[in-house]
Amino acid sequence: MITRVLALGGHDFTSRPADRAVCELMLRLATTRAGGRPRICILPTASGDTSEQIGRFYSAFGERPCDPSDLSLFRLGTRPMELRDHLLEQDLIYVGGGSLLNLLAVWEAHELSAILSLAWRQGIVLAGQSAGAMCWFEAGITKSSGKPLPGAGLGLLGGSLCVHYNNEPDRRAAYLYAVGDGMPDGYGLDDYAGLIWEGAGPPSAVTAQRGARVYRVSAGDSGVVESPLPTRFLPAPAPAALREDIAEFRRITAMRKRAGWLD
Amino acid sequence: MRKTLRQIVAFGGGGFSMESGNPLLDDYVLGLTDAARPRVCFLPSASGDADHYIVRFYRAFPADRCEASHISLFRREQGPEDPRAHLLEQDLIYVGGGSVVSMLGVWRAHGIDAILRAAWERGVVLCGLSAGSLCWFAEAVTGFHGAPQGVEGLGLLPFSNCVHYEPGSSRRRAYHDLIRAGMRPGYAAEDGVALHFVGTELSRVVASRPAARGYRLDALGERVVEMRIATAYLGDAGTTLLLPLPEAMSTAIAA
Repeated sequence: MITRVLALGGHDFTSRPADRAVCELMLRLATTRAGGRPRICILPTASGDTSEQIGRFYSAFGERPCDPSDLSLFRLGTRPMELRDHLLEQDLIYVGGGSLLNLLAVWEAHELSAILSLAWRQGIVLAGQSAGAMCWFEAGITKSSGKPLPGAGLGLLGGSLCVHYNNEPDRRAAYLYAVGDGMPDGYGLDDYAGLIWEGAGPPSAVTAQRGARVYRVSAGDSGVVESPLPTRFLPAPAPAALREDIAEFRRITAMRKRAGWLD
Repeated sequence: MRKTLRQIVAFGGGGFSMESGNPLLDDYVLGLTDAARPRVCFLPSASGDADHYIVRFYRAFPADRCEASHISLFRREQGPEDPRAHLLEQDLIYVGGGSVVSMLGVWRAHGIDAILRAAWERGVVLCGLSAGSLCWFAEAVTGFHGAPQGVEGLGLLPFSNCVHYEPGSSRRRAYHDLIRAGMRPGYAAEDGVALHFVGTELSRVVASRPAARGYRLDALGERVVEMRIATAYLGDAGTTLLLPLPEAMSTAIAA
């Protein structure tokens, strides 16, 4: 079975070309896995399941050839779901950004870590940005406690990852220090840069915005070395011809639907 | 001089989260602090730090009544830099509702569980509704996700707890089943009821609704004994019952 991971340094779900290119890539990976119309589920756990993150996801994928859904662990009270069944029937699981520390803690509390590991072994595409990208690695640099500090991930992929690489200099500095201090070697991903693993080989690097870079970061005898990797540019698809008022209405409806939370 | 009483007020449901326009339970917990302008910190962790919930907290606890603050564990780059120091200097810590399982996971990740115990031991009043009630007990019944089930709490109070204990609720049957299956004895509260513990002893049961009640549950062999506890309605001093426990208990045996 081929395992698939898409790690993104940072992106949004707007109609900007770079964001559309990222969504197109996810859709392509999911469709390849499905061999037809794919199922795509967002896990917004790292944000605390904010309506904003969920709404933006639906506004990006609602009009595309796929079946989008969200699994909000903080809102199971109003929307009960069989976690294992729902996740294992997906073609792509997308993890949003936020707090890496809280993401792993809440997953552990709901016993999701084992389910995601199984999903990975079954070839379901595991995708995500920021905390949702670092979570698949052994370690990352997170601001979950305020300042950028090393934090553990699930460890499905060996090595480490640092996101928002040139976008947040303090995070990059903390990463270089941590790798020099014994954190496993890994990668630095700018916003709109990504790494795709399909099977056992080395990952391929992609970008959706000019100037975005992917770095291999490793500790050597003479200190920590950052080596830029060759990247493939992702073209943006034509914008969806959706009237803005309809899109806005859909975003608001999606938010309202998911507004319940109380135990 | 701060009271060194350890106090927990566990709401079955109610307060600003559920009883808009009825501030009786929130007034009660504010009244337990001996500060003229108490420092109150809201922990909305169980909601995933939902913005709308935080806004409602600040509206319910305005600046002329107290010094209100909150800690978002999903946005640590904002708010108090040192959650421990901030929580320990409060008069009241108010925990919101939502998913108790998610909340306890996040608390452990940030060390909030140990801080809350320290705050309790220093006399900071701890309160909360729903998930914010269940968390203080050794064991609790959560109905947040599918069928009600048992969950381990922080264990400050060596009992079990069930919230939203409404007549005919599936939680009621589930709590009885869990007690029968070996869950430790404990307390249940209907919406509008608050269980006030001093130390680890139940001191008083108060309510924001005249008919709402609290309950004590014990196992007696194969049977579950459910005792209704005299509950003081906070709304009208003329009808308030201030009977000491346990004489005030009216006993009902449930099969």
